[in-house]
Amino acid sequence: MNRNLCTIMTGTFLVLLLLITGCTTTPSTETQTEKPLYIVGIDGEYPPYSYIEPDGTPMGFDVESVIWIAEQKGFDVKIQPIAWDGIIPALQAGKIDMVYSGMTITDERKEMVNFSDPYYKVNQSVVIYEDSGKTFDEFMAGSLKIGAQRGTTGAFWVEEHLIDAGLMPAENLVTYDNFPIVVQDLQNKRLDAIIYDTTPMREAIAGKPLTQIGEIDTGEDYGVAIRKEDTELLATINEGLSQLMNDPYWETLKEKYDL
Amino acid sequence: MDQIVFLTEILFPALIGGTVITLELIAVTAPIGLLLGIAIAVGRTYGSWTIVEICKGYVIFFKGCPLLLLLFILYFGFPTIGITFTAFTAAVIGFICCNSAYNSEYIRGAMLSVQQGQLIAAKALGMTKRQAIINIVLPQALRRAIPGISNEFIYLIKYSSLAYVITVIELTGSAKQVATKYFMYTETFIIVALFYLAIVTVATIGINAIEKRVAIPGFVQK
Repeated sequence: MNRNLCTIMTGTFLVLLLLITGCTTTPSTETQTEKPLYIVGIDGEYPPYSYIEPDGTPMGFDVESVIWIAEQKGFDVKIQPIAWDGIIPALQAGKIDMVYSGMTITDERKEMVNFSDPYYKVNQSVVIYEDSGKTFDEFMAGSLKIGAQRGTTGAFWVEEHLIDAGLMPAENLVTYDNFPIVVQDLQNKRLDAIIYDTTPMREAIAGKPLTQIGEIDTGEDYGVAIRKEDTELLATINEGLSQLMNDPYWETLKEKYDL
Repeated sequence: MDQIVFLTEILFPALIGGTVITLELIAVTAPIGLLLGIAIAVGRTYGSWTIVEICKGYVIFFKGCPLLLLLFILYFGFPTIGITFTAFTAAVIGFICCNSAYNSEYIRGAMLSVQQGQLIAAKALGMTKRQAIINIVLPQALRRAIPGISNEFIYLIKYSSLAYVITVIELTGSAKQVATKYFMYTETFIIVALFYLAIVTVATIGINAIEKRVAIPGFVQK
């Protein structure tokens, strides 16, 4: 009995050892061209900028942009969807090398990461259930129950301009992990209004009994977020962006995604 | 931002608010989960054929259904058929279903460990089946099930953190909000872990005290 136990334990130990050594050996498949590989973090539910097709391929305006830039600038990219409210820590921890997914340049984020030159402008859009009769004035007065995705500029706007300003109690802002469930909960009528960036909002409510009642002119700029120390990559992306925006492909892309 | 200011003025007030909600979730779920668990265990062991099958189905379903999925169905799915729970209610219902299914299994195991002869002896003394279960089987079985039930209770404390995905701002939810707003992930989550550790430690001490208190001298072996 004791000997059996001993054998089992030794066996388990050996298997574990094998697994651990297996994990630590560096992958030997090096590309011959030695192009650098950058991992691009995206929000996987952010159409038309970045989203995952049903078959699992990442698509979108930003995704195609970064693939184009990578081709021009001679690097490889791997697109990695990541939870939005944890995307900046993932960047800082080196899990991804950049966030190219409609991220608004804000002062708070700038303290953590560097941003490329702005490449797109959006505002915040406010949407209600079609026949609910809620108005934009009620929204601005803080008398509605508002839904937003956690960690987005829409949620920050409500905190700053309605909650911190004392117009609305904090519990009237309900935050969610991703945007599709915010839309779902508005349709479930738990919320009076929802707030999100204008372009993805248009996509999110298309074909649903929801209407936009107003836009808040925040004049936000989208930029690519890159770790503070990666100044070389930042320069490459800036070059690539300006090249892309001066190329006819930029207009083709905009047309393709109806921007 | 100054670390001390962040901790004392932002993080702690938010986490204490979250802890209150977490404790409320547990306080509502645990007693109902235990009572329902006992009922299901009794039904499954001594009930008629129909009751046994219903209890079996309940346990199989809620043991097999991932809790996260169950919460999604309750919160986001049910409104489409016209039943709209508040986030707190949906969370509590989900937790009770899961908690009672597991508890019933621990209690059922403990009930089966009570020797059949005792039931026969009770019958011989003129007790009805019901009296025998309540007075003979359950007092022994529940004592034996305490380690299992206490395990499940501690799981409940930890899986209550799932409620944040359906917008209940309990301990984990409040931490996520603060971390996302102030970009202080490491500090926030380490402190939240300590909060959970504190709750679990208090719970463990409490359960041990209960176990000691209800122990019958000579009945439970050391």
